[in-house]
Amino acid sequence: MKYIVLFITAFQLFGVTTAFADDNHLDFAVTGFGTLGVSGTDTDQLAFRRDTKQTPGVTDSWGFDTDSRLGLQVDMDISQSWHATAQWVARNNTGDFFEQNLDWAFLRWRPADDLDIRVGRMGFDVFMLSEYRNVGYAYLWTRSPHEFYAGIPIYHFDGADIAKKFAVGEGTMTVKAFGGYSFIQVPIANSSNIAERGLTVAGAKLAYEIGDWNARIAYSYVLNNIELAPLQTLLDGLNSAGVNAIWPSAQSLSQQIATQNKALHYSSIGLAYDDGIWLAQMEASYTDTDLLTYPSVASSYLSAGRRFGKVTLYSLLGISETLNNRPKLSNPIVSVSAVNALRNTIDQLSNSSGVDEKSVSLGLRWDVMEHIALKTQWSHYWLGNNGTALWLKPASGPTPDTVNVWSVGVDFMF
Amino acid sequence: MRHFLITLLLVLFMPSAQAELAVIAHIKNNIGVLSAKQVQDIFMGRTRNFPNGRFALPIDQSSPLRAEFYQKLTGRPVEQVNAYWARIMFTGQASPPQQLPDDEAVLQTVRENEGAIGYINQIRVDKTVRVLLLIN
Repeated sequence: MKYIVLFITAFQLFGVTTAFADDNHLDFAVTGFGTLGVSGTDTDQLAFRRDTKQTPGVTDSWGFDTDSRLGLQVDMDISQSWHATAQWVARNNTGDFFEQNLDWAFLRWRPADDLDIRVGRMGFDVFMLSEYRNVGYAYLWTRSPHEFYAGIPIYHFDGADIAKKFAVGEGTMTVKAFGGYSFIQVPIANSSNIAERGLTVAGAKLAYEIGDWNARIAYSYVLNNIELAPLQTLLDGLNSAGVNAIWPSAQSLSQQIATQNKALHYSSIGLAYDDGIWLAQMEASYTDTDLLTYPSVASSYLSAGRRFGKVTLYSLLGISETLNNRPKLSNPIVSVSAVNALRNTIDQLSNSSGVDEKSVSLGLRWDVMEHIALKTQWSHYWLGNNGTALWLKPASGPTPDTVNVWSVGVDFMF
Repeated sequence: MRHFLITLLLVLFMPSAQAELAVIAHIKNNIGVLSAKQVQDIFMGRTRNFPNGRFALPIDQSSPLRAEFYQKLTGRPVEQVNAYWARIMFTGQASPPQQLPDDEAVLQTVRENEGAIGYINQIRVDKTVRVLLLIN
């Protein structure tokens, strides 16, 4: 909140006076981007969503709000080495509509041409696209690859980062480190209830850009500082002496289910190629956790495309697999309905947290005008047993093994 | 928006006005000549300095010359250059070069700014500016 106040003050001090100062030198710029998209599937047993921050997703009754969004950015040059940026993106995103959608609000100091130091709110630079997942105009696909990006509810953090560029050979090497705190609000299953997380985040990346090639390797660390409120009743139950007397493994399960002070480690590599005609991109990641509700997962995608004038055709393959085995739940010594209910809850929890998803997509991007691109994409998903954590399930009933998702949309910037 | 529409009309009805382009700088800029890669680095925001360390202020155009300039300089269509800038801008890294409407406005700004670097149709070059690179 203090950054927002800082920004408003800064704009009042500088913005108004410089906005009319000199047409030839833009000190103050308002830009934006957006997507108007519609998507739908061929099932009503499972709802498709862009990422785990969204509800309710789309089914065979199509919807606009999975992909549609509108972003506004204000940039201000305070001096040659100081710059301020704020970006707010209206979208389907669980939680406070203003605060959770404010993705950038930082002050940048550039003491030298190749050194950036930023303080404020910034995008979470965990994978190649994670800082600009909302800016459809900037990438080829209808949305960032689902297997790779849908499981990351973190869009931004409040803190600082430092980036330094080096000329290495004919290319440019970028080294970046960041750290801070991220407050996020996530939906609980298909309900309108919200869980809150306070996360300590830190990370580093090494990127190298040369000619048509772009490569990166990155590591990010996330520590959850507060227990998810909806889990508390369950944890209290598992920790109670009475329950443990009847069901001795209860307490050890509570340690697996508890999310407080648990860490996630994201490791990833990415490689992109673009020679103006052909383009290809791949990323691979491993997310290491010891959380029952967010088990370790390996993900990858590979995309290739070709441009034909203003039209680009592409294909995309994605895969994501949970690696942890689900815990085998022992039975209580005595069958007591309250303890059985507790056991069922844990069973459901561990059954709904896995990802087992593969997909193939074909799509088209047509740059109809400068700054306007029309996109359409067909994706076919294969979903394994207990593998639909990135989707939203109905309260009961079987979930399909395969789902088709169709999307049409227009991306623009201004 | 009006510029955009005019640009669109020009692109639609006056195609293939292929010109030789001159990358120009202030007459007192003693940098000599630049390579295509050095000009690319400045216009794509990879560096903010000339090779001699002086601050560079790239001046873009909103005219049809813009598409031709980037196609010839980077081998990429202007839509791709725009998508590249969308990524750089909306991740808070840098802002794209400011755009001026035509050769005359670029010439005027380059004459007045020692750090400026712009591009114009080569036939518009006069003695008041220095040519850093010719692009066919």
